[in-house]
Parts: sequence; structure tokens; C-alpha cells
Amino acid sequence: MRALITDSYYVAWRELKKYFRQKTRMIVTVIQPFLWLALMGNAMSGLTNNPMAAQFLGTGNYLTFMTPGVVLMTVMFSSIFSGTTVVWDRRFGYLDKLLAAPIKRGAIPFGKMFAAAVQGLIQAVIIVIVALLFGVHFKSGILGILVILLIAMLLSFILAGFSLALSVKIKTIETLMAVINLFMMPLMFASNALFPINVMPKWLQIIAKINPITYAIIPMRDLTVSGWTQHVWLYTIVILLIDAAVMLWTNWVFKNAVSE
Amino acid sequence: MSDAIVVENLKKVYSNGVEAVRGISFSVRYGEIFGFLGPNGAGKSTTIKTIIGLLKLTEGKIVLDGFDVSKDSYKARLAKGYASQETAVDDRLTAYENIYLQGKYFHMKDSEIEKRAKELLTMFGLWERRNDLVESFSGGMMKRLDIAAALIHQPKILFLDEPTLGLDIQTRSAIWEYIKKFKENGMTIFLTTHYLEEADELSDRVAIIDHGKIMALDKPGVLKSQIGGDLITLTFAENNKNTEKFLDALKGKEGIKSVSKMENGVYSIVVEKNGDKMIPELFGIASSMNVQISSVRLKRPTLDDVYMKYTGKTIREAESSREESRKTRMITRRLKR
Repeated sequence: MRALITDSYYVAWRELKKYFRQKTRMIVTVIQPFLWLALMGNAMSGLTNNPMAAQFLGTGNYLTFMTPGVVLMTVMFSSIFSGTTVVWDRRFGYLDKLLAAPIKRGAIPFGKMFAAAVQGLIQAVIIVIVALLFGVHFKSGILGILVILLIAMLLSFILAGFSLALSVKIKTIETLMAVINLFMMPLMFASNALFPINVMPKWLQIIAKINPITYAIIPMRDLTVSGWTQHVWLYTIVILLIDAAVMLWTNWVFKNAVSE
Repeated sequence: MSDAIVVENLKKVYSNGVEAVRGISFSVRYGEIFGFLGPNGAGKSTTIKTIIGLLKLTEGKIVLDGFDVSKDSYKARLAKGYASQETAVDDRLTAYENIYLQGKYFHMKDSEIEKRAKELLTMFGLWERRNDLVESFSGGMMKRLDIAAALIHQPKILFLDEPTLGLDIQTRSAIWEYIKKFKENGMTIFLTTHYLEEADELSDRVAIIDHGKIMALDKPGVLKSQIGGDLITLTFAENNKNTEKFLDALKGKEGIKSVSKMENGVYSIVVEKNGDKMIPELFGIASSMNVQISSVRLKRPTLDDVYMKYTGKTIREAESSREESRKTRMITRRLKR
């Protein structure tokens, strides 16, 4: 167990070293939430002038409704491409080097998932700060913000794991991107990240209710808009369980698929 | 003490039913450089990947430094270093970070890594550049770094997969010198290469694999001598009257296997051994018979001839499979950047 943790740590260390060296990527990470909140938030703010819409959203401030969605979307877009690192590592022989070393095989996905979670956390922190600057009020306070950040990390971990598990079988970046994109749009739009579920057509509501993204967004939104509801703990536990399942899955995939 | 690498009746059948390795056995002694050659699709890569633990074996047994790779995989992994043909260094990390991580993958302490990394980076002439990103390195530097990283945990056995592929001649000979130095320090080296002169120059013994079986295994000199003797080709000055008489005299001579006329007035003489020593003798006989030789050439059997005999291909033909050329192109492109 200790070996698994230290091995994962050094796999993550490598990813994070490279992440912090990418200056452009870091700048974009900061700019992106500004754009989302300023443009999108502004364009949609008229919606809450309608009292019915305001009731559906649960708040009179569309930005407040949207902030958790922006956290989620940003985190999603960065972590779900985690699998591309395995495709690259395979092409340059680095994956073989890792597999030939006496590290635990599971450490390869876990390290990369942890690195994605740290990146997700950094992005979520930036978005929360920007949101506060734009006057968003988090109803659950500082502690609630910390739980929002935790959920953002847990979600990054899940999505990175999903894409890493795919990357074991998919050998080219292009195919991996295509497969991920196939999942991305339904995950995003068939959830309540941008619009509340109640206003969706019935069939879309069904998809949204089995979408794991919904289970991340509900506690995040509750913490922002309504405060500490019963959903918060329940859904955070659901997310944790999904995390555990993804860990078991990736561990199994890396243990077996790479040693045919 | 047993051998460094023992492979017993190794069989590998892929899940799609392809039988890549069909029950091969060989062993590599401690301190030996063992050349492993074979065309693509011969089972060469499968064998290496199975030995270093990247593939599960279907049947048989592999022992590395006394540890069974199936039962004691952790210790077997610790015993060996591996530098793949792709030059697996992360070019967005510094040279030191690359080598540090490799040490960490082998569960070394920071203090051990620092000491050893300094030693290795100095030896490979990279110490001054240790804090530079590897993307600024030349192909040769990347290769040296890759080999240095493979040595961080002082492995007893080093696997070098095509260590000089795509490198210029200078870098290649520098790498050869390093390999010879490792051997002097008692390291066992398992070498695969497409350059037969490299295998010939470095290996104590060579194995040739084809169709999933070991076709030949011996010292390069022994393999070459099995091919036949040295070949001397001669041409004569015009207006020689005694040429035929001279050739008849040679046919009866001890040590000469055959004399035959080729095209364009060229004669070929196959001698049992030491063709270089036979040449002055030939000149002696020729001048005593008043025969003027205008040109002479000596050709010794090369490992290429041995390879040709056992695989039916020259190494160049073998190299040009599609997958291999894609891989070679990619590596060369990366190294030449």
C-alpha cells in the first residue's frame, strides 16, 4: 500500500512539474473563467428578470446559478484529456519504461488521476476567486467553498480515470479525442450544469438523472445557492463511491491490458 | 552461481492466436555482451518484452539474476535496467529530473540518487546541462541520458534495445565505448541491434532468432567460420602466358578449397582460413611462374552472411517492414530535431 502511494506520488510529480512549466496553459486557465462568467453570465442575466425563471434557478442572480457549472465544465475539459498523456508516453516508449520498472501498475493511472485532480483544484480555486470578484455570494460560506473544491477534485479524478482507462486500448490521440468528444457533449448538456433539470424535456431529464455530472453539480449548486442541504452529503458520498469504482476499474485495466 | 539470464522453453502465444515465440531456450552468462538478432516478426521484440516483464509468457520459465520473472517479478525488475529503442526520456523535464524520476521508480533514496546521478551524468558528459530541458538536447545527448537513467540503480543486467538506431557515426562509436566500459565493470548486457557490425564488434555471443526459434547461437567468429572460408578474388595482367598453369598449381595447394573463374576475367579462390596470410604466398608462386597479378581483394564472411544464411534475408530487407520503418522514421525525426 505504501509503495502504491509513493509510486503514484512520483507519477503525479512528473505530470505536475510539466503542468506548472506550461505558462500559456496557466494563463489560459485564469482567463477562461473570466470569459465564461463575464460573457455568458452577462448574456444570460436577463433570464432572471423573469420571476418564473428566477424561481426555477433558485436565485435572482444567474451568475450565482452558473458558477458551479463553470467550475464543473472547466474541470471537465482539462481532466478528461488525461488519457492523452498515456498515448504520448506509449509513443515515446516512456510507458514501457514505467511498466518495466518495479512500480505498482496501478500507480500509473492513480498518479495521473491525482495530478488531474490537483489541476482541477487549481482551476476551481481561480474560478471561485473570479466569481467572488463578480459579486457571487456562496450561501454556505467558506466551509461550503472548500466542499465545492473537494467535489471539483473528486470529479477530475473520475473523468481522468475514465479517459486513462480508454487510453490503454486506444493507441492514437485522434481516436481518443473522438471517443472522448462523443461522451463530452451528452455529459455536459444532459446535466443541470447550465440549465436546471426541471425545465428540460422529459427524455432529457431521464438522461440527466443518470449522468454522474449531475451528482457533482447538485451539491455544488446547493452549496452556492441554497446552503447546506441534505443533498450535499448524500451526493458527495455518491461521488466518492464513483471515485472508488473508477480506481478499481483503472487498476484492473492497467494490470491486465498492458500485459497481454 | 547460475547465469544472469536463463530462458527455458519460452513460448508466447498472443490472444489472437499468433504464436510469436515457439519454445526457445538460451542463457546469458554474467559479464557477457549477448547480441540478439532477427528480422521483424521473428519473435525478437516479443522475447525481449517477455524477459523484461512487459508481456506475460504463455509457457516456460525466465530467470533474471536468480529471480523467476513470473514468481518474483519485483526482484527480477530491480535486477535489470532497460533502455528502449524509442529513447524514452521526457523532453519537457530536465536531464536531472528524468534521472531522478527513474531512481524513484526504482525506490532509491534521494541521497543515493543524487550521488549516482552526478556520477552518471558526469560520465556521459551531461552534468553541465543537467538543469536544461531535454527538448533542447541533440539526439545523441537524449540517447546518452536514456542509457544513464537506465543505469541509475546499478543494475546487474542491462537491456539495450537498438541503442544506436538513428544516431550519427560519432555518437554511435561513443556509445560503443560506453558499452565496452560497462562490460569491463562486470555488467551483463543484452543487446539487440539492426547494425550487424555493431553486434560483431561488441557481442561475446550472438543469437539469431527467426520464426520464433533460435536459429544459431555462438561467438560471432565461430558463426562466421561456419559460413565458409575467406574469399580471395584475383585479376591478371593481359598477355600472361602461364595463367592456367598458375591456377592449376593453386588447385593442389594445401589450405585452398576451390579455384573458379568468374565473369570479366576475375578468378575467385576460397581458402580455409587466414586469407590475409595466403595472399603473399600467392604472389610468391605467381612471380616464380612469371605471372603478373593486377588486382587482389580479400573478403571475409561477415555477420551479414551468417544472418543471410539463417534468416534468408539481408538485414536491410528485414529492416524495411512497414511498421519498422514508421518507427525508425519517428525515432530519427525525434533524434534529429
